Amino acid sequence: MSAQDSGVRPAPAAAGAGADGSILDASGVSKAFGGLVAVSDVDFSIPRRSIVSIIGPNGAGKTTFFNVLTGLYKPTTGTIVFGGRDVTGARPDKITSLGIARTFQNIRLFATMSALENVLVGQHARMRAGLLGSILRPPWVGSEERRVREHGRELLAYVGLEPVAFDELAVNLSYGDQRRVEIARALASEPQLLLLDEPTAGMNPQESATLTDFMETLRDDRGLTILLIEHDMQVVMNVSERITVLDHGEKIAEGLPEDVRRDRRVVEAYLGTQGGS
Amino acid sequence: MSRLGALRESSRANLIVAVVAIGLAALVPFFFAPLSSFMNNAVLALAYVVMALGLNIVVGFAGLLDLGYVAFYAFGSYTVGWLASDFFAYINGGQGVHILAPKLLSSPAGIHVNFLLIAVAAIVICAIVGVLIGLPTLRLRGDYIAIVTLAFGEIIRVFAFFGDDIHLGKHALLTNGRQAISPVDQIDLPLLSQFDSAFSLRPYYWFALAMVALVLFVNFRLRDSRLGRAWIAIREDEVAAASMGVPLVKTKLLAYATGGALGGMAGAFLGTYYNSVNANQFQFGFSIFILAMVILGGLGSIWGVVIGAVALSFINTYLIPSLNDVPDKFGLDFDFTTLSFGIFGFLIVLMMVLRPEGLLPERRRRLELTEGVGAGDEQLFEVRA
Amino acid sequence: MEAATVAAKPIARRRGDAVRDFLSRYGLILFLLVLPVYFGVRDISQGKGLVPLANLLVQGVSNGAIWALIAVGYTLVYGIIELINFAHGDNFMIGTFVAFTLYGVLGLGLSTGASGLVLGLLVCLVVSMLACATTNVMIERVAYRPLRNAPKLAPLITAVGFSFILQNVGILWYGSSQFSVPDLIHSQHVLFTVAGVSVHNSDVLAVAVTVPLVVLLTQFINRSRIGKAMRATAQDPEAARLMGINVDTTISFTFLLGGLMAGAASLIYTLYQTTLWYFSGFQAGLIAFTAAVMGGIGNLQGAVLGGLIIGCIQQIADNKIGAQWTAAVVFAYLVMIMVFRPQGLLGEETREAG
Repeated sequence: MSAQDSGVRPAPAAAGAGADGSILDASGVSKAFGGLVAVSDVDFSIPRRSIVSIIGPNGAGKTTFFNVLTGLYKPTTGTIVFGGRDVTGARPDKITSLGIARTFQNIRLFATMSALENVLVGQHARMRAGLLGSILRPPWVGSEERRVREHGRELLAYVGLEPVAFDELAVNLSYGDQRRVEIARALASEPQLLLLDEPTAGMNPQESATLTDFMETLRDDRGLTILLIEHDMQVVMNVSERITVLDHGEKIAEGLPEDVRRDRRVVEAYLGTQGGS
Repeated sequence: MSRLGALRESSRANLIVAVVAIGLAALVPFFFAPLSSFMNNAVLALAYVVMALGLNIVVGFAGLLDLGYVAFYAFGSYTVGWLASDFFAYINGGQGVHILAPKLLSSPAGIHVNFLLIAVAAIVICAIVGVLIGLPTLRLRGDYIAIVTLAFGEIIRVFAFFGDDIHLGKHALLTNGRQAISPVDQIDLPLLSQFDSAFSLRPYYWFALAMVALVLFVNFRLRDSRLGRAWIAIREDEVAAASMGVPLVKTKLLAYATGGALGGMAGAFLGTYYNSVNANQFQFGFSIFILAMVILGGLGSIWGVVIGAVALSFINTYLIPSLNDVPDKFGLDFDFTTLSFGIFGFLIVLMMVLRPEGLLPERRRRLELTEGVGAGDEQLFEVRA
Repeated sequence: MEAATVAAKPIARRRGDAVRDFLSRYGLILFLLVLPVYFGVRDISQGKGLVPLANLLVQGVSNGAIWALIAVGYTLVYGIIELINFAHGDNFMIGTFVAFTLYGVLGLGLSTGASGLVLGLLVCLVVSMLACATTNVMIERVAYRPLRNAPKLAPLITAVGFSFILQNVGILWYGSSQFSVPDLIHSQHVLFTVAGVSVHNSDVLAVAVTVPLVVLLTQFINRSRIGKAMRATAQDPEAARLMGINVDTTISFTFLLGGLMAGAASLIYTLYQTTLWYFSGFQAGLIAFTAAVMGGIGNLQGAVLGGLIIGCIQQIADNKIGAQWTAAVVFAYLVMIMVFRPQGLLGEETREAG
């Protein structure tokens, strides 16, 4: 189902390719909270249609970096360019409408809305009905509502949710199903870049494998670019085309999985310089 | 979801219930004398229903605790006071300005505009006031929003009270303070004779009922729309909502504007119904009165709020005065009517502790308030509006 | 990565940002200075000199002491549970009624001798403080504790309800009109003048009660075990709990302290204003809250500073603009603080995104 068919407002086609065909370019990004520097001078690029990961010990600044990319924080220094467009300091809803979507580390579904309603909210940026339209419901609003509901159901099915669960309140869903709904909600805004914050937390190896297969499907079938934060090294090593390592807010390594795994600085960061733990 | 729950959610069911309820309500005046006190109370109850439904949009849907809702009552009433009375008697050399309103040769002075146009004006003015009140609150957390809106309500009250000290140009005052702007033109609809409260209250009742029908329609449409979902998303988790593409500033301001507009419409109606606009009407207690209706009925629940409004209105006009016998029996000397707001306060506390989701809860609310689900208030950061 | 690295540079600031920053840093102070500066200059130009303004400021400070004490109650409670105790102002009003009742009980009147008066008033002070403390703790138990895990709307609404209940207790107690109480300390008596500025009994009273209390309180919070527990809980309740701190008790204790301060304020107010009203709590509450926010909510010194500043603003507004507009002026300041500098004068920048 393409954006053109549905008459939805499409995300601006990320026409301007960044240098080296990257979809996102972050340069010199820092984020400081008063005296505390959470992210320090990070350069980061994501190649189009790739799956890349950010890893690092706790407190390394990974989620903060995510939050900067999605506009929840304004960076203290640096620029962020998405699809050839400077989005530094843009508001989160603007960034979503431009084509970046995310999930959260602690699932943040709208707990007392149904799974379908959650996904409908995800489509907010792709709908046009305003105050008057919502009240008067001219035909185009009616068909827009029907379309987004249809699309929502498709997405929920796509992520593997049983149809009986579509109208179930999110809080009543199992953990695994909630994760699915969160991804469906993120996909609802028709992003080009999907940011997943520890998507396999709480999953067993089998579930994680299913998710990584799914990520690859998203990349191959839908042309999505995916950026992961992950702690599960199996997942990271298996699915990432490139890994970036943060520690204390700084980028300490970046490269292919097998290179990063052997990088001395990375090992030190995780285990401490004494090598013990 | 239970069958009943599913039923309540279906728009068809709501439509049928609404039509039946309004139809039945329309028949009520025929059972009571045209000038009876019951009719008076019924008219007030309907006006309060409109107010409560307006506040429900701000507090119930969007989760913005507005404690200054009386501001919209004030602006709505003063719009009528300014545009449908001889308050500005000097205009046009004493000949007055008349827009779709009858010109009495005996007393033409002042601005006289047809009520329907005034209602539109009140809606527009109060929408703007809502935006102005809402703007400073956008980056604030829940309790701060309460205080700031409360402060605005008080500022407006002060200006209403002492508006007779403020001169606009050479001849006019801002308000008439506590001397009240009176009399106020009565509603005059095309094809019908002008309303006259000395003759019959029935036309007022049906007009108010029509307002209720309109506001119910607006509420139901909004709740199940893109905007309504956005409001509820903001209420549940602002950060997640913004990350999903909901523009916080615009959406919140729309809540304030819409809620305010409805309050203004009801305020205009009350202004003309009371035939006077008196600054004494616009006290903080009124905001609590309406808030109590919304809480009693169930935050966010449209039918619940209707029930809450009617219930509290009747408690206010019937139960409380009738309790005035009780103190005498105990040898105490006080008037329950002055305690009315204390009773509402007590009611609020009771509801919040015993049944916070209200009498007829929105199904989500029950979960939110009793099991602390979705209380996504912990924020690591102020969300950039 | 091969992408060209751009030298880290501060992000392009929109013009509005610079203005907003400036306003945030200095705007509040400028707004505060507007009133005294404008009227001071006007006075000078009218040949009245600065003495009238100085008199107003002295009055303002002593009036502000009352707000300071009430504001301390707000700020302590907010610091620890991040909720506004909406009923705090009405608690204060109850304190004033308690104090007045005690006049009668103790037989304090205009003819009471000096030593009897001092002793009697001390008793009044203690009893008022205890009464308000008890009320505050009760509010915490009934309104705030059971709803601690509910969305923030719930306890706030409950406290609003409580505020109304307290007001109506007031009405039941002493009726709905204002009433005067004996001016036991001859509050308007001018004790001495300094360079033309008069200092009245009431001014001395306000300072004499407030300063020791605030000093005591600050020392208590900084040194005592409970004080440390309070600060720990304010920083991170979960961690405090894990450290073995009884968070519930600590919170109740904080309400107790806040109530004590309100009780002290209520006695000063009764001696100072000599007119009581059931509605005074609502107004006092809003004013004191403005003070707490102006100083920086959660910051004790800020609350005191805010109280004194608001007191001065009130006096100037009362005298120069007109007493009926003072409330609007104070609330306008509240709105401005919220817009331009929600963290107040002494508060830290919140962890805001941008």
